[in-house]
Amino acid sequence: MNTDAPLTIRGIGAVSAAGWSAADLVAAVKTNRELPWIVSERSIGSRDWECRVRPVPAPPPEKHVKHPRLRRVSNVSRFAISAGLEALGNAKPESLGLIVCLMNGCVAFTNRFYNEVIDEPALASPILFPETVFNAPASHIAAYLGISGQVTTLIGEPNIVAEAMRMASDWMKSGLVEQCLVIAAEEADWLSTEAVGYYDKRLIVTEGAGALLLALDGDGPRIDQIAGPMAYHSNRERVTALAQLASATTQPEGAALIDSAVGLPRLDNAEREAWSWAGETISPHRVLGESMGCASALQLVLAAALASDDQRSSVVSMPGTNTAAYACVIQP
Amino acid sequence: MPSDSPQRLLITGVGIVTPLGFGWQENEASFAADRMVFRPVEMFDVSARIAKTASLIDLPTERLYRSLSARQEERVDRGSKMLLLALREALKQAKREDMRDVDAIVIGTSAGAMQLGERYCRNVRASTKRQPGQLTLVEHYQPHRQMTTITKELGWHGPVTLVSNACASGANAIGIAMEMIRSGRAKRVIAAGYDAVSELVFAGFDSLRALAPSGIPRPFDAARDGLALGEGAAAMVIEADGFTSNDAIAEASGYHTATDLHHLTQPDPEGKAAIRTMTEACRQAGVQPSEIDYINSHGTGTPFNDVAEGMAIRAWAGDATPGIAVSSTKSAMGHLLGGAGAVEAVICVMTLNGQWLPGSLNIRELDPVATFDVVRSFRHAKVKVALTNSFGFGGTNATVVMKQA
Repeated sequence: MNTDAPLTIRGIGAVSAAGWSAADLVAAVKTNRELPWIVSERSIGSRDWECRVRPVPAPPPEKHVKHPRLRRVSNVSRFAISAGLEALGNAKPESLGLIVCLMNGCVAFTNRFYNEVIDEPALASPILFPETVFNAPASHIAAYLGISGQVTTLIGEPNIVAEAMRMASDWMKSGLVEQCLVIAAEEADWLSTEAVGYYDKRLIVTEGAGALLLALDGDGPRIDQIAGPMAYHSNRERVTALAQLASATTQPEGAALIDSAVGLPRLDNAEREAWSWAGETISPHRVLGESMGCASALQLVLAAALASDDQRSSVVSMPGTNTAAYACVIQP
Repeated sequence: MPSDSPQRLLITGVGIVTPLGFGWQENEASFAADRMVFRPVEMFDVSARIAKTASLIDLPTERLYRSLSARQEERVDRGSKMLLLALREALKQAKREDMRDVDAIVIGTSAGAMQLGERYCRNVRASTKRQPGQLTLVEHYQPHRQMTTITKELGWHGPVTLVSNACASGANAIGIAMEMIRSGRAKRVIAAGYDAVSELVFAGFDSLRALAPSGIPRPFDAARDGLALGEGAAAMVIEADGFTSNDAIAEASGYHTATDLHHLTQPDPEGKAAIRTMTEACRQAGVQPSEIDYINSHGTGTPFNDVAEGMAIRAWAGDATPGIAVSSTKSAMGHLLGGAGAVEAVICVMTLNGQWLPGSLNIRELDPVATFDVVRSFRHAKVKVALTNSFGFGGTNATVVMKQA
């Protein structure tokens, strides 16, 4: 594959356990703030072990987005649209593309709907089902923003956002859109919270969304490199892939490494050893928790904030778990 | 405005797995016989559902994955197995079984490995305790994990992009592959789409009253009563002209996608987004509506969809409308959801090579909206340019135009 041309980040947005803005995210990570967590309860039945979740707090009034399409949506759509609107700011591009990245998707309504199917087969809600479809959030955002052109939803590991940025680049280079909004979002339903607990009981699950408004030029931090994918088929191959990724990634002098560590050595060691980073390492997920599908996007938002606020370069490590590893170099 | 690239994109291999058959030959034979394949659903309980039939695939009983143990293969979902079979056929035809110089894979799916997710949920309901095997289901329920199993089987390490725009996913996968090559980012890309029938999706469409109570989909029939679900997969190897020494079997010449903002599940009655996708895809392909010999329509058989698509074809084609042959192969194999766009594009490739048209079956009285040439049964015809439409929940519309090589 050919290498990527630089992209400019025109705007960023975030919703996280730290609050409803990128500034909230940055402040929480920089100050290593201890964010509250709660025990996730099943809405159906009970469990005899503890699952911890660090939810997004209630939105401030100004973050309530009103639109007929948003009356019945679940949190993943609300997070995505809020982050997207923050990234968009006052920008009014002539044509805007939209790429939404998800891992678990609309799990809250999927969980509810499937339980209805089991419990009351004839009464399963026709209102819920369309909201279970992966591209429901993208559809709502498109309707709100009036985007009638290039809109798509990608699914995969959190680092699928790297392929989304490449796709955005393709769209802009071919003139299909002038700018592109890339959003990754996740909601922590009890079902997904419990599922993550199978990886490690100590994980605290969290949720949110990260958004980047991308252009081919203009003012803003630059994505100088999207390295990867270094694909792997097993844990053993993953170790090699991470080392190859570190070698293939430009490491600007004085740059910070923004990694995906959650604070559990069993899960973090391979990534840490691959980079052997001599400079500062920032691990936002130690503060936030396991952010699932929006994890990489939140790292990228943080990197963009570092570039614009502190004039710092960073390397964003997105190692993945099952498929491939990516990294991004963000420059002021 | 989008820039038109003069670069030709060649299709050098296709694979197709549907309830009508495994591979090109079996599917072609089924179309030639005007065969349709709907039967009672027994995989899960449909006793409380309005619809009780679907179009299903009986997968081979022998092992499909050489790189997996029998136990590992049990973790592979049905849809991914269909996809693997379609990929193998496409790669064989393109003489790329070794995956040499393949730059990327783009896959469309709507439900992924939903059946494994359903099993996980039922296990959760059944116990308050942590259960062995749940981690495996959590992992393998995720479509990207299933794709890793496939890339391992193919012995390939490269980028896999999973696109999920409901029923347009398969067509979007083809379009994204085309965009990747046209942007210069890739030279050879495999595009595919797949989905398997699952309880959640079946119940979902049933709850929306979208499934035909009669069990028989009748696209473009005046008294059609809904769609029938099906399952399957298709794959396509697309290459930049000049990059391949293989014989091309068709040209992927035009693609466009647009978003219908009318409603989450219902199309704009006039099909405005569909008019845009057909117009722009044909512009990219350098053809006029009058040059389109065949449209494989989205044609689900639901009252809303067929009217919107029919209105769109008429508005887009204008005076050329009566001369354009149109059929919906969903009448024979059901709606393959995320697989539909890819399967129907491959059927277009088959029509370009075989010079025949598949029928739009089960029509009793034609809907007045259908003023085009509805192909009501298999027939031989001259086909130089074919077009396929895909529309999905969420408003994603996509059109792919293909030409004879």
